[in-house]
Amino acid sequence: MAKALLTLISKEVKELLRDPKILIGIIVMPLILFPAMGSAIGVSQRAVSRAVRRMAIAVYDEDEGSASQELIEFLSKDNDVFIIEAENLDEALRRFMEAESSILLYIPDGYSERMTSGERCMLRIYVHLRRLNMAETGKASSVEQLLTMYGEECSLRRIRRILEEAGEELQPEAVRRPISISYASILKGVVLDVPPGAIFGIIMSQNIMLPVMIMMMNVFAVQMAATSIALEKEQKTLETLMTLPIGRMTILAGKLFGSIIIAIAGAVSYMIGFSYYMRSTLGFIPQLTIETLKEAGLRLSPLGLTLLGVIIFLTLLLSLALSLSIAVFAEDVRGAQSLVGLIYIPIMIPSIILMFTDVDMLPAGLRWLMLIIPYTHTVIASKALFLGRYTPVLLAVACMLVFTTITLYITTRIFSTERIITARIRRWRLRYGG
Amino acid sequence: MKAVEVKGLIKRFGDFEALRGCSFNVDEGEVFGLIGPNGAGKTTTLRIIATLLRPTSGSVKVFGLDVERRADEVRRMISYLPEEAGAYGNLSGEEYLRFIASFYSDDVEEMVEEGRRISGLGERLRDRIKTYSRGMVRRLLLARTLMTSPRLAILDEPTSGLDVIYAYEVRRLIKEYAEERGITILLSSHNMLEVEYLCDRVALIDGGVIIEEGSPGELREHYGAENLEEAFMEATGRG
Repeated sequence: MAKALLTLISKEVKELLRDPKILIGIIVMPLILFPAMGSAIGVSQRAVSRAVRRMAIAVYDEDEGSASQELIEFLSKDNDVFIIEAENLDEALRRFMEAESSILLYIPDGYSERMTSGERCMLRIYVHLRRLNMAETGKASSVEQLLTMYGEECSLRRIRRILEEAGEELQPEAVRRPISISYASILKGVVLDVPPGAIFGIIMSQNIMLPVMIMMMNVFAVQMAATSIALEKEQKTLETLMTLPIGRMTILAGKLFGSIIIAIAGAVSYMIGFSYYMRSTLGFIPQLTIETLKEAGLRLSPLGLTLLGVIIFLTLLLSLALSLSIAVFAEDVRGAQSLVGLIYIPIMIPSIILMFTDVDMLPAGLRWLMLIIPYTHTVIASKALFLGRYTPVLLAVACMLVFTTITLYITTRIFSTERIITARIRRWRLRYGG
Repeated sequence: MKAVEVKGLIKRFGDFEALRGCSFNVDEGEVFGLIGPNGAGKTTTLRIIATLLRPTSGSVKVFGLDVERRADEVRRMISYLPEEAGAYGNLSGEEYLRFIASFYSDDVEEMVEEGRRISGLGERLRDRIKTYSRGMVRRLLLARTLMTSPRLAILDEPTSGLDVIYAYEVRRLIKEYAEERGITILLSSHNMLEVEYLCDRVALIDGGVIIEEGSPGELREHYGAENLEEAFMEATGRG
């Protein structure tokens, strides 16, 4: 039995891996596509940040006073400022639109006077959306930040002067902002000098990455199993296989494990590509958060890791058994791929919904609907594991065990009857052929 | 002991009755042919004997073992070549032979060597099967069917879809192997000349029932026909 099983698994892996569609589409493509996408986005982001770092700012100084001069000098320190000479704002705007710069700062008449007398001043930024790209909005917010900084500086200067005049020995910063807040988070009994937002960010990253990984692994597993059985039908090898001196259970196990191996290889390849993509675009899990994750005990314990392995294994078995049971009715690979598309819906829905919320937070009807989808329990378990809550994990394992056993039983029944040879769906009707 | 005993075999697919009480015996060591037109029930009969389908009623025994109740044991004694069989395109011919051999013998190499000899494909066995012609695939499949030295080889239309030269080669291989090893061969064909050349005894099947059984010579004599084709037409009332 063991020798026959190993022979079958080896054949399955060879057959699937040598299929260019599978090798390129599932193993090689994620390793090329995601890093390529990541690099492309990274390059464009770097180009944006370069463009934002030193900007060309057009200024229409209607005021032409001492305060406006001081502001222009401040902006000129790190940027290329050029003054637009015009009779009025309309003319200034016309000239600005003809110029290269996409940012115009309008300093209205009376700005210096209001600034000197301590009144609130109004400035206006015009953004010329020529190319509708990120750099244009980035520049606008950068100018706004510069002006806020300048405003802060003016404010402190004013407070200092008032305090000197009043003979008060107070710190201008303390007068301006009397309260300063720093955060700490308490998680699983550990006090961390980290704001809760950062912890939430880490958990979110786990909540997104793990369900995505499990979802992808299942999608690959479904594809592999469907392809594996459909290839037997397409290549007309199924009848021969079924008359070899090996048990039907061994044939089924060979298909399940062969598909699992390719599915895991596909998922690993996908995750390598995907994490490179995340790193190169968003810096998704910076080193600081990984250290915090360890400090907070948000990483998996050996028991957690084992339970995660169990739940992933059960989920994969369920997907494969479902896929084989459905794909058996197809006559070729294309037909099988279309039929097993039905399984993607219950795989994806829980992963997507539970990425953003918990099942307990859903309305009662939807909650029960979610709970009868086996894949919901996988996502629940994977989330609970990171928080060290083992009771819901064990419940999820029990649920998955029941779902998987029932599905495997049905698959075994299909494999041990003649239905595997005769039944096929054509135009959504079951037909039998002899 | 009879190699195959088929008694009152009925097989229904939904409302369609493919076999309507089919009965015949195959003696050990003989080459037995099932002859009949398309849709006569040949493939269904062979699939039942090969444990792929289950009889609706009636009994089928292979070397005394019931194909339904003792399917696993039957599978160890038979080797089945379906009419439209293929092989794993992404494996090489040699890998395919080794794959099959590993289920039958501990001495895989000896069996694979036998497969190489029967197939006559030489160096081409190292190439992927998807690069083979239809004739080459059929020879490879025949090699894998016979190399395991089964007690009963079931060959469904062994030369189907082959050109004259390949068909001749395959027929020669079957005859040579049957004489050399003395194994029982049960084959189906609608090619009467092929059956006459290969078979010791034949059964004429039409509409899911056996209408006549005997050696090609007996059948020719019985119907006063020059060949099996004429005998078949007479026997089925089409002559």
